Amino acid sequence: MKWLILAYSNVLRNKRRTFITILIAAVGVTSILVGGGFANFTYEGLREMAARDSGHLIMAHPSYFDKEEEMQMQYGLSDYQQLSQSMASDREIRYVLPRIQFSGLVSNGEKSSIFIGTGVDPAGEFKVKGPFLTMVSGSVLSKRETADNPMVVIGQKMAKSMNVKKGDYLTLMSTTTEGSLNALDVTVQGVMTTGVPDMDSRALYVNVRTAQELLQTDKVSTLSIYLRNTEDTDKYRDMLSTQYPDYAWKTWLQKAFYYIGVKGIYDRIFGLLGIVILVMVFFSISNTVSMSVMERTREIGTLRAMGTYQWEVNRGFTLEGLVIGTIGSVAGALLGFFISMLFMLLELQMPPPPGRSEGYPLAIDIPLDFYGIAIVLTIVVCMLAAWLSARKASAKSIVEALTHV
Amino acid sequence: MVTESVLQARHLGKTYHTGAIAFEALKNINLNLNKGAFAALVGPSGSGKSTLLNICGLIDDCDQGELLFDGEDLTQASQQNLTNIRRQKLGFIFQGFNLVPVMSIADNIEYPLFLADMPVKQRKKQVAEMIERVGLEDLSHRLPDQISGGQKQRVAIARALVKKPHLVIADEPTANLDTATATSVIDLMHGMCQEFNATFIIATHDDRMSSRCDTEIRLLDGALI
Repeated sequence: MKWLILAYSNVLRNKRRTFITILIAAVGVTSILVGGGFANFTYEGLREMAARDSGHLIMAHPSYFDKEEEMQMQYGLSDYQQLSQSMASDREIRYVLPRIQFSGLVSNGEKSSIFIGTGVDPAGEFKVKGPFLTMVSGSVLSKRETADNPMVVIGQKMAKSMNVKKGDYLTLMSTTTEGSLNALDVTVQGVMTTGVPDMDSRALYVNVRTAQELLQTDKVSTLSIYLRNTEDTDKYRDMLSTQYPDYAWKTWLQKAFYYIGVKGIYDRIFGLLGIVILVMVFFSISNTVSMSVMERTREIGTLRAMGTYQWEVNRGFTLEGLVIGTIGSVAGALLGFFISMLFMLLELQMPPPPGRSEGYPLAIDIPLDFYGIAIVLTIVVCMLAAWLSARKASAKSIVEALTHV
Repeated sequence: MVTESVLQARHLGKTYHTGAIAFEALKNINLNLNKGAFAALVGPSGSGKSTLLNICGLIDDCDQGELLFDGEDLTQASQQNLTNIRRQKLGFIFQGFNLVPVMSIADNIEYPLFLADMPVKQRKKQVAEMIERVGLEDLSHRLPDQISGGQKQRVAIARALVKKPHLVIADEPTANLDTATATSVIDLMHGMCQEFNATFIIATHDDRMSSRCDTEIRLLDGALI
């Protein structure tokens, strides 16, 4: 404790220099926290979007993910209702939703276009999509939809291209499981946007029953399992794959290519930024301690003459690094917290990322573990810089140190 | 009465090398300082006073002869061992006082006891006694730059003697002081030498100082005369 008090007193010797050093450490920590908080917010948003899109776990026929289907629904699941009921009894599983992936042509009678369709269970599908599917007009598919009046929700660009609105009719054409062509008239129930222009020109949603009727099948492509906690994904993959070994399983992360890509880029950008900032802090502390060591060379000689070990002198300077690092990083963390709160209050928007039509909120996360890591890392860097700077001076001969001018 | 030797030098020598030039700073020094000795180390500048003082203070090494401290031969001692001896048995008084500016007077005096791992209560008691002994009771919480040169040297003396060292090394302790202050510092050092029965070796140019010493070690060109 005495050493720490002495270190604190030494830090206050040259207040202006110490203030500037602390300021550099604080600004460094703030930059790391704000940059990291923004990246973290983006990761969480993308992770949530990916998980809500595919489901936390995807259950399929063993060949579904690896082989190309020669016929529609060749690798579909026929016993999906039984599987759904069996899995839904687990309290940690929110939804087990059937999906049919299919494609074909959509026509308004005058014009045709390619579509990428998804047959879904309306009761759960649009609940799990949450804020990641925006309805531009009309409404989502209803679970009360009747078999003689099938509905469709289409992408915004497709609606524009087909010149249709809610209540208009479209014809969906696709190949059945036996290879013949089938067509089905559907009514536009709503127009949506996914935020991805390319998807909005091709995507459509129909009831799983409608898709089965069009494809002439009683199978579904996959079952999407939604958990209450995303963190439980791996645990449930292991558990369910043991329980149902005859099926293929994938997690949302294995399908989240956009998330993985963005995270890879952001990790590199913000990681590099963090390293640059820490190097700056390191050199700043080194410079401060080196100046301090030079000014106190005679004092070091005196202390060593009195019987202070070389490592005790080093420890004194290292503790000064600890004091500067602690004050700087805590001040930086507080500043980072206030900036994050300010951004939250201002509700600023980022421009749309490449390939997207909508921006997203400029928010900065405040993850406590990240704050802890940034504070500890800065303190360690400060202590290391101080120790390295002091090491040389404390190794000087006592006589030489005592005659230092 | 048997006198106890604190410091013994036998055929001590020290040579400095600057490039190809060798300078013999000390030549065949033999000396013996007994417990309670108040010895002056005198001689003109360049005579080797500081070198001998540094070797006696275990902060420099000799390259010839032997140095015995409390009967222990320290010629081959490790730095760790020398630091330990300085920590426990040696006190230093410097010409420029060399007080730690961020420590109060009391903290400066306490530092050697802190290094010796003395319990806080005992430390505080011993420091208070020493502050009283050097007459600085009212200044104990002040910082070194808030007191006069004479007071600083008193603090330095208190710091050197607080742990009751066997040997006190003093390098020109009165050089930066006016006559009256120097006299009081000499009186204090002499008094404490007797009180603590510590051995003093004082490098000085000051005749008042050397005249008060019971032993005079005179050096010229690195040799005893």
